[in-house]
Amino acid sequence: MTRRGFLKRWLSGAALLGVAALLYGVTPLLAPRRAKAKRNYLRPPGALKDDAAFIAACIGCGVCGEVCPPRCIKFHIRDGGGAVNTPYIDAAEKACILCDKCMEVCPTESLTMMPRQEIDMGVAVIDERACYPWVDRGVCGACVSICPLGKKAIGYKMWNQYRPVVRDACVGCGLCVEVCPHPSVPIWVVARPMGVKA
Amino acid sequence: MAAPTATTEPATRLRRFVVWRQLNKLRWLILVIVFAMLVLLPLLHVYQTYTAAHAYDLLSPGEKQLYDVMETIAAPFVSDPAEDLDAIKGNTWSGSFWGYKISDPLAALGQVAAGLNLYWPFLLTALVPLLLTIFFGRFFCGWICPATFLYELNSNFASWLRWAGIRVGNRRFDKRIKYGVLALGLILSAVSGSVLTGAIYPPAIIGREIYYTIAQGGLGVGTIFFLATLLFDILVARRGFCRYLCPGGALYSLLGRYRLVRIRRIVETCNDCAKCNVVCEFDLDPLRDGFGQECNNCTACIAICPTDALTFTLRPRDYPEQGPGHLGRHYRGDGEAPGEADAAP
Repeated sequence: MTRRGFLKRWLSGAALLGVAALLYGVTPLLAPRRAKAKRNYLRPPGALKDDAAFIAACIGCGVCGEVCPPRCIKFHIRDGGGAVNTPYIDAAEKACILCDKCMEVCPTESLTMMPRQEIDMGVAVIDERACYPWVDRGVCGACVSICPLGKKAIGYKMWNQYRPVVRDACVGCGLCVEVCPHPSVPIWVVARPMGVKA
Repeated sequence: MAAPTATTEPATRLRRFVVWRQLNKLRWLILVIVFAMLVLLPLLHVYQTYTAAHAYDLLSPGEKQLYDVMETIAAPFVSDPAEDLDAIKGNTWSGSFWGYKISDPLAALGQVAAGLNLYWPFLLTALVPLLLTIFFGRFFCGWICPATFLYELNSNFASWLRWAGIRVGNRRFDKRIKYGVLALGLILSAVSGSVLTGAIYPPAIIGREIYYTIAQGGLGVGTIFFLATLLFDILVARRGFCRYLCPGGALYSLLGRYRLVRIRRIVETCNDCAKCNVVCEFDLDPLRDGFGQECNNCTACIAICPTDALTFTLRPRDYPEQGPGHLGRHYRGDGEAPGEADAAP
């Protein structure tokens, strides 16, 4: 092979790779990185703990959303950068009912089937400076009545009925967030600190 | 039976099977069905959520209309829509049929690259498509891919433009670019930890964009990319994305290199008219027996062949070039036929 031919081949190979790289370079730019979330989005139940591993495992097929009866699973459809097309749940808008269908249908390990008490989407916290019973603005108990896990997850404070407290068994489904009648939603689901598990 | 005009032709053992000429119509039917399913499934999903909520009276008039139409469609098949309609879910990227999951081999490969680990329950869902691809070659591209449906309509549109006197692109590039796209996509998926191959793969994009539009309130970013590929196909190269850039096409071409089901030319019947080369969406060279690993068995060349000189065969390799057809060497001209420029890799 002549030197000219050799150079030509390498240059055209490099040009081909450049064209290919352009495709992948443009794609994440189309999905701009999400600005710091004002709300904390949840991953669907049974999701991998490590969010980076979740993003790597999710192929973005959208089937979890397609089986979700309350349509609570949404997708980063125009945002999220590298996490584009991955599912999330915005509990304040629509919360998970723990029906297990998404875990059942997910082909990858990003959502795996697990018993209800092992699901860990986060844990609810209550802002005691705003919640109606906590500031003595009446009785409520909406969060306690709707909780699908019952007394082990959320209950009333002893000696003072109607003041809700979150307990260990909370899996963070967010139904309490959805149902909370207070305009500022003083109950919220946050990531469970590492190592703490019901 | 509509046998080929047997008076002038020498008797060939491999006379073509007459139904194969109709396969192209069957292929279009399948493409339409697949595309219609991609639209129908999200609509059925929305209907399911309405039934699950048990609140027909609270729906808006438009939602009630959707409910009624979907109920009419689904009623003969299911008794409990909220549960029974879960039987078929998903799209061509990954789907579930009565609990049996099937995924695109590119999804499996991209996911392995992104996570750098092997999760066998998922990889096994790509096994059936993988085996079919090894046997039938790049059949997904021609027979199932929802993007092919739109791309072929798009190239028909381009030929109308050409007919109207508007110039459309007909450049040719190296078909090996797409292998670079595939390799680079896998590398970048590994580096970024996100399944990037799925983000630029048109069938995956179309499946999820239709779903987003119907059930998630709007189109996603993939639409921009897909529209760009449509423009690329019109302005730069006919079926340019599939031919030169698609990472999935690259993977199936590699897997289908030694496919058993392939098209061959019957040299005794061929009259060198070169219609097959013109109709070939992938810019292959059936006239010179050059099908190669890129052929997706779409049968467009079989359907157009005026002398029924193209047929299926079971062979792991193409026939070596068989020379000019029964009209002899003078008829073909020397390298005049379209599609001659590229050499198979």
